[in-house]
Amino acid sequence: MALLEVTNLKQHFTIKKGFMGEKTIVKAVDGVSIVIEEGQTLGIVGESGCGKSSLGRSILRLAEPTEGSIKFKGEEVTGMTAKQMKELRKEMQIVFQDPYASLNPRNTVRTILEAPLIIHNIGTRKERREKVELLVEKIGLRRDQLNNFPHEFSGGQRQRIGIARALMLEPRLIIADEPVSALDVSVQSQVLNLMLELQQEMNLSYMFISHDLSVVQHISDKVAVMYLGKVVEISDVEKVYSDPKHPYTRALLSALPVPDPLQKKERIILQGDLPSPSNPPSGCPFHTRCPMATKECAEIVPPLEEKTPGHFAACIHT
Amino acid sequence: MLLNVKDLSLSLKKNGKYATILDHVSFQVEKGETVGIVGESGCGKSMTALSLMRLLPEKARLNGEINLLDENIANYSKRKLEKIRGNQVSMIFQDPLTSLNPLQTVGTQIEESLILHRNMTKEERRTRVVKLLKDVGLPRAEELVNEYPHQLSGGMRQRVMIAIAMACEPQLLICDEPTTALDVTIQAQILELMGEIKRQTQMGIIMITHDMGVVAEVCDRVIVMYAGKIVEEGPVLELFQNPTHPYTIGLLDSIPKLGQRKQKLGSIPGTVPAPGNMPAGCRFAERCRHTMAICRTTVPPMFDIKTGHQSACWLFDEKGGDQDGVVRSDELETALHH
Repeated sequence: MALLEVTNLKQHFTIKKGFMGEKTIVKAVDGVSIVIEEGQTLGIVGESGCGKSSLGRSILRLAEPTEGSIKFKGEEVTGMTAKQMKELRKEMQIVFQDPYASLNPRNTVRTILEAPLIIHNIGTRKERREKVELLVEKIGLRRDQLNNFPHEFSGGQRQRIGIARALMLEPRLIIADEPVSALDVSVQSQVLNLMLELQQEMNLSYMFISHDLSVVQHISDKVAVMYLGKVVEISDVEKVYSDPKHPYTRALLSALPVPDPLQKKERIILQGDLPSPSNPPSGCPFHTRCPMATKECAEIVPPLEEKTPGHFAACIHT
Repeated sequence: MLLNVKDLSLSLKKNGKYATILDHVSFQVEKGETVGIVGESGCGKSMTALSLMRLLPEKARLNGEINLLDENIANYSKRKLEKIRGNQVSMIFQDPLTSLNPLQTVGTQIEESLILHRNMTKEERRTRVVKLLKDVGLPRAEELVNEYPHQLSGGMRQRVMIAIAMACEPQLLICDEPTTALDVTIQAQILELMGEIKRQTQMGIIMITHDMGVVAEVCDRVIVMYAGKIVEEGPVLELFQNPTHPYTIGLLDSIPKLGQRKQKLGSIPGTVPAPGNMPAGCRFAERCRHTMAICRTTVPPMFDIKTGHQSACWLFDEKGGDQDGVVRSDELETALHH
């Protein structure tokens, strides 16, 4: 049984446009189905506004999903009561992008890390203390730093604290929303190494949301490419990166600057900008920028089809 | 020689004390050449750019020479500088939303430098503005002139920034992280546009970025900075194939590369020393795996590796550098073949 199974998840927001408040619906997540297995990492890539963060938040029900099913260990998550959700959140945790904004500046690291244990009423004071000290060393900080405040740490260290906090309750799944995007590359590599080590040690599953294709490739087993609220391609990392089936994935991969001056590659330059999610194009959402687009693309919403075994893409031309 | 920067040092006042931000930074830019300045946050790459344009906070202490076409502009008066800014030297900033004026139309903002630096009639300016917008690949140029920045997308705004910078056909263009705030498909568009501009004009470009991919793609030469100093400099191919400074090596190792999955990435232990609290010798010594006794006491000069390739590391001192009796060639071997 998969650890997490999301089927046809929709997250729609109503926004008011203009002064008079004309209402429009933004389909941030529009019918996404994904599966995360025990001990595996699913990477979610896409550009800004593609709905990748909304997907993460609605799985945790930080924003109430509009439609669809979320099954964690076979149990339906949507419709759970607040009490049930609290229990479930022990097993599903989130790491946010901005390590500066996601830690309370008034609390010491000890207080920050102990909070989840207190909220969930776990252990005696002494046990909690021990657990905090154990974990802080695991993520590469010293015990004597526990009484320091977040501002005394660097960005990389703060992100480690964010990860430690997520790990306090020994979750099965961590949703990491751009966890390394705010970090310098040498620090980013430290955090990625740490996440991989912890995964092996604790058999964690990750949903790793990022706009950085090389980072996602590095850490993931499977990857889903999102565009305007929809998954346009999903498969094993090797398959997606070596043989992309969707024109958008191809363009994304070819646009990525590679740190090797010898590698001169054929570049697909997409014309135009991302359409607004509040006013997505008809048919295939990508057809306005797609080099392969034909007349049908404006009319038919392409289904996510299995192109080769285990490799799904939503394009009628590939 | 288009630009020759000699021993540029900058100190800024913080908490009542002056802290050194840049320490004897020297480099050159030739006509038609793109020079990348790379490094992580706080290494001084952006301050180098701002120093060249003298866009510095008050009470900043700037020493050294900035020779633009053999004229030292480091001590120019405000008025003389204004003749150069936006005219001979232009700058593109990272965030096109905060660097455009939200209350002015696109046309007015592009026109500004033409009014300041060129003797043109209103009609001539208008024609020029429309042409500039077309040159940077913007559709509906005639209408765009009258639109405001908030009506444009991020990529379009950055194109407008480029149009502003190109208005007076500068000889030197300084780009400070021009694509960092953009999505990867939009970044590709902007990099392509910049490549085109580079081919058409003989402009020198300084490309400041933290992204080694961008460097590999657009630069001819690379300068690596660490904690306010240049640690390595060389032609782009040479630097990527044969990095010599332990910091450059560490930096390149820590980038996840396509095709290497779930392997342990290289990383650099520790953090950058704070400005105002720099160690006596090499600033990287604290984090370096090849640290020798001399590294802690004496600042390494730039040693020649090859023509045009220099590295500020005692490992390359031909006199043997270390007094500790550490076998130098071994150290070098591991450094190079890591």
